[in-house]
Amino acid sequence: MGGKYRSVFDIIGPAMIGPSSSHTAGAVAIGRKARQIFADEIKSVRVDHYESFAMTHKGHGTDYALAAGVLGMEPDDSRVPQAVEVARDQGIQIDFIEHTEPSPIHHPNTAILTIKNEHKEVVVAGCSVGGGTIELREIQIDGVTIRPTGPLPMLLTWIQVEQMFTIENMITAGGSSVLKIITQEINQETVLVIYELDKRPNVKVLADLQDACQQVVCL
Amino acid sequence: MYKTVAEIVTAAEERELPIWRLILEQEMDYTQESQTVVWRKMRNQLNVMKEAVERGTKGEGVFSPTGLTGGEAVKMKKYREAGKGLSGDLMLWAMENAIATNEVNASMGVICATPTAGSSGTLPGVLFAIDKKLNLTEEQMIEFLFTASAFGMVTANNAMIAGATGGCQAEVGSASAMAAAAAVELNGGTPTQAAEAFAMAMSNLLGLVCDPVAGLVELPCVKRNVVGAVNALAAADMALAGLENKIPADEVIQAMKEIGQGMPASLRETGQGGLAATPTGIRMRMKIFGESINLNQNED
Repeated sequence: MGGKYRSVFDIIGPAMIGPSSSHTAGAVAIGRKARQIFADEIKSVRVDHYESFAMTHKGHGTDYALAAGVLGMEPDDSRVPQAVEVARDQGIQIDFIEHTEPSPIHHPNTAILTIKNEHKEVVVAGCSVGGGTIELREIQIDGVTIRPTGPLPMLLTWIQVEQMFTIENMITAGGSSVLKIITQEINQETVLVIYELDKRPNVKVLADLQDACQQVVCL
Repeated sequence: MYKTVAEIVTAAEERELPIWRLILEQEMDYTQESQTVVWRKMRNQLNVMKEAVERGTKGEGVFSPTGLTGGEAVKMKKYREAGKGLSGDLMLWAMENAIATNEVNASMGVICATPTAGSSGTLPGVLFAIDKKLNLTEEQMIEFLFTASAFGMVTANNAMIAGATGGCQAEVGSASAMAAAAAVELNGGTPTQAAEAFAMAMSNLLGLVCDPVAGLVELPCVKRNVVGAVNALAAADMALAGLENKIPADEVIQAMKEIGQGMPASLRETGQGGLAATPTGIRMRMKIFGESINLNQNED
């Protein structure tokens, strides 16, 4: 089924620092996923807030929550409320911008993160759909833009085009169903393939995928 | 995966299993983890809830950084202890625990979102109040949370649980309905009665808007959880007494979705309408953020 909420702990959980599951815990989750996709030393983070996020991010702690996620903190980490200061102490420039126009990814709780260092830039457009559950609806990486459906889990793989079906077979053999595949050519040797899944592959399948692909990110 | 309340009820009745057992199995299948691991995770969530209630009712209580909320769980506790409450100890416990949890949330303490942080007081309010009466084992409390999550997941997947998309009915309304269903099962009711309790609790809170003052999860969120908890206990008792909602649970969820989609943006967690737009609400916002606000922004 296409349900966004697949685990009981999406409903009874997360354990988190308040005050809002969508605006705080969900924001931590968006930050964490963006960090995972960037996968490099972070020098600057620009956050573009839209709609409800733009209106209420100050009161809901959305800013410190996103910063906490970008730093890799868990949503119940007691340092979450100080995360913006922690990031700046680590030399990360972090800016927050409020927009009055509608969300480009069509959700009231939208944050678009642009993460950079000297040689890399990644843009992750996330929305917090409620109860701490998030969706990623646009990712810009390696000079390409991809637009997944949104719900997690999803697997980002950098592979050769002829590996596509092998990789899909490895995923399904591990018990996950592939709901959708999105491909984007990066260069002659590499294609970025996103597999949208019904459940996360287990540790063994992930390890096998790490060996088979140039790069894998499991979100 | 169970897609509707009707599917859950049918499966529970056909297999003669409690709802918590069905959803535990579903989770094990989804995560490919053992029963022990899944059970332990839920116990952790229960412990987070217990600790939040304790924190909120200890000493002078907790206070939010804005000063808008805090210390009122302790007031409720003292009032209950004085023994002159109108609504009886069980209801007073529910109110006190609901307030305590949401005060901890507003003070940036650790809580368990059930299903959201804004509605995090409703389930613990009900659960720990019932515990005072029925003297529950830890296993029963964990079962309660699994059953509640079964109903919550159907609600979240068929409608919404975020105030920004569906108003407070989607948060406290959902939490209240989940708690009502789980309370029925805990007290020996049938799966059908659990579904009826769910339907009555949610029906009673349809249309509830999300209008937090200054956009903060404080006013009126803390006390809306009292309504959620008390409404859940009332709906559970009605269902156990044999009352029916007449409109089936799954149709109530659809109604909640449609009402949520029809709500203006000003009443969906933007801090722009309702109580947030009252003169006092606006003054509080300006005092906290020191800025003028445009109430017409972000309207659909």
